[in-house]
Amino acid sequence: MSQSTKKGLSLGSLVRRPEFGALIGALAVYIFFAVAGGPDFMNIGGTASWLNVSAELGIIALPVAMVMIAGDLDLSVGSILASSSMTLAIVSGYFGLPTWIGIIAALAFGVLVGLINGIVVTKTNLPSFVVTLATQFGVSGITLGFTRLITGSTSVPFTADQPFQAMFGSMLFGDKFEVAVVWWIIMAIVVSIVLYKSPFGNWIYAIGGDVVSARATGIPVSKVRIWLFAGSGFGAALVAVIQTTLYSSAQVSNGQSFVFNSIIAVVIGGVLLTGGYGSTIGVTLGTITFGIVNQGIYYTGWNADWAALILGILLLIAVLTNNTFRRLAISGGKKKEKK
Amino acid sequence: MKFTRTAKVASLLAVSALALTTATGIATSAQAAGGVKVYVIGGMPSDPFWSVVKRGAESAGAAVSAAGGSVTWLGPQNYDNLGPDAGKLVDNAISAGADAIVVADWVPAAENPAIKRAVAAHIPVVIYNAGGTAAVKQVKGLTYIGSDESVAGKAGGVYFATHGVKNVLCVNTGPGNANYEARCNGIIAGEKSKGGKGKQLPLPASNFGNPTAVSNAVKAALTKDKTITGVITLGVQDADSSAAAITAAGRAGKVKLATFDLSSNTLDRIGAGTQLFAIDQQPWLQGYLATSVAWQYAQYGIKPATSPVLTGPAIVDKSNVAVVKSGVAGGVR
Repeated sequence: MSQSTKKGLSLGSLVRRPEFGALIGALAVYIFFAVAGGPDFMNIGGTASWLNVSAELGIIALPVAMVMIAGDLDLSVGSILASSSMTLAIVSGYFGLPTWIGIIAALAFGVLVGLINGIVVTKTNLPSFVVTLATQFGVSGITLGFTRLITGSTSVPFTADQPFQAMFGSMLFGDKFEVAVVWWIIMAIVVSIVLYKSPFGNWIYAIGGDVVSARATGIPVSKVRIWLFAGSGFGAALVAVIQTTLYSSAQVSNGQSFVFNSIIAVVIGGVLLTGGYGSTIGVTLGTITFGIVNQGIYYTGWNADWAALILGILLLIAVLTNNTFRRLAISGGKKKEKK
Repeated sequence: MKFTRTAKVASLLAVSALALTTATGIATSAQAAGGVKVYVIGGMPSDPFWSVVKRGAESAGAAVSAAGGSVTWLGPQNYDNLGPDAGKLVDNAISAGADAIVVADWVPAAENPAIKRAVAAHIPVVIYNAGGTAAVKQVKGLTYIGSDESVAGKAGGVYFATHGVKNVLCVNTGPGNANYEARCNGIIAGEKSKGGKGKQLPLPASNFGNPTAVSNAVKAALTKDKTITGVITLGVQDADSSAAAITAAGRAGKVKLATFDLSSNTLDRIGAGTQLFAIDQQPWLQGYLATSVAWQYAQYGIKPATSPVLTGPAIVDKSNVAVVKSGVAGGVR
């Protein structure tokens, strides 16, 4: 927002920013639940509820957004989360190696699966939807097979050494906020730098806009796409480390909800499913919207049987609002060109 | 339906298009020449609860192999279409030439036609884990081996009430699942019988596999209603999430935690005094007994005189946690 303010406080330019729709969506659901949920929702405890959920989702959604801006999809984050989580619990919990080795192994596993996704997608030219879906199944099978083979169970307990417990699995400000919130902010800064301050970022938008001309201008398209998949693998692995440390155990079936939820958050945040369009602030607002809707219902005191219905309706409204403003943004841009 | 970790998530679009079943041979001689072929149909192999059931079946399988027979485990890849999938597995077992079948009757309407086909083909069928004696009567099965969810829930509710917890929240991460509803309703009924009360917190499938979403929702419920003094979860991972929720809500020590089923973390908390108790339906015993009974009947005509054979509930609290712990480490409890 600061950029448009500097250029002059024109309401038109503010409305035409790509993330304006996402901002309106986030504010709308916040006000909705602030009214329905009252002070319990608005105080620190209530804020922590949705912020914690948003933070973990955001750590995955931000790199997934980069993949989607480049025109691909990653449906494997759920299984990567489960497998990285299990890697950490088996290496440092079951075998009792130092925590840092387990964390490095978990993160490396996530990046490795991401690299494999990227290499298969670029070498075979198959749609990333299919390739990452195959990975999603394949990796969950590997996780289950090896976990049972090694530990004989499907749920492995784990306790982190200090300082890693504090770094990944602690609660800040009176046991309310997960340390994941800090990681989320770091992730948002890193992704912003990549997208806006590096040539890599320009390449991502160019590939998502038009692969053929991107390749013609000499952009290393395959390399960029491979590293983007590695990035989303890393995001999923980081959340795996956070959750495993925080809840002191790993389950083979964890994380599946992140596959859809990350895409939902990214789309609410204004990224086009076809690629080429989107912003960090938008995606961050999208994850906040999702977190508020996901948790807000429990502060309303309404029968929680209706939670999923309200979630569905609010998400639809958020995306519709977003689309309206995006159309405004794009049409506004075109008008200027004509002049 | 009866399983501890819900996988009700619409896990993936294409899931049903892909292979639906897995079959794993359990420790057995490849040739079952002259021996009895037992097919055991259970839940998803990745489900921690079913992992323990499968271990029980494997242990029983050792005796079956020694007698020249074999035990084969069949389980669905996911729970999206559980009833029809389980029915298909029964048909698979029949066509594979099963001499005895062990099956969990989660969705009787969908599974019973297939089970009846097995019975009509003179294959003895043991119903275990879900279905109860009602299912045994309907399909003319051999016997029912498992626990009664309602009875287990009531035992938990009564335990809560007699230990000073009179208002309990039942965290249901699989709303609509008949087995989960029976557990929560049992808890509430148990509380009411001792003058307490309780209610459900249903959490939708969009939160499946995300402990943070579950944890913060439980925290919200505790914040909203400060008269709640007990939380019970239907699975062990939800218990980990709820333990964090109680701390985050600033109610540690004031809100007592309990869960259905066991895990290392659950037992650690019971040992440390931060969890009141756990309700165990002893899944290993279900796998072991059901497989043994099916085999013994098919081979020698031996069967227990009582039906149902109840494997639970068993309450685990501070008084017996030490001995239970060794079983969990071995994947048996």
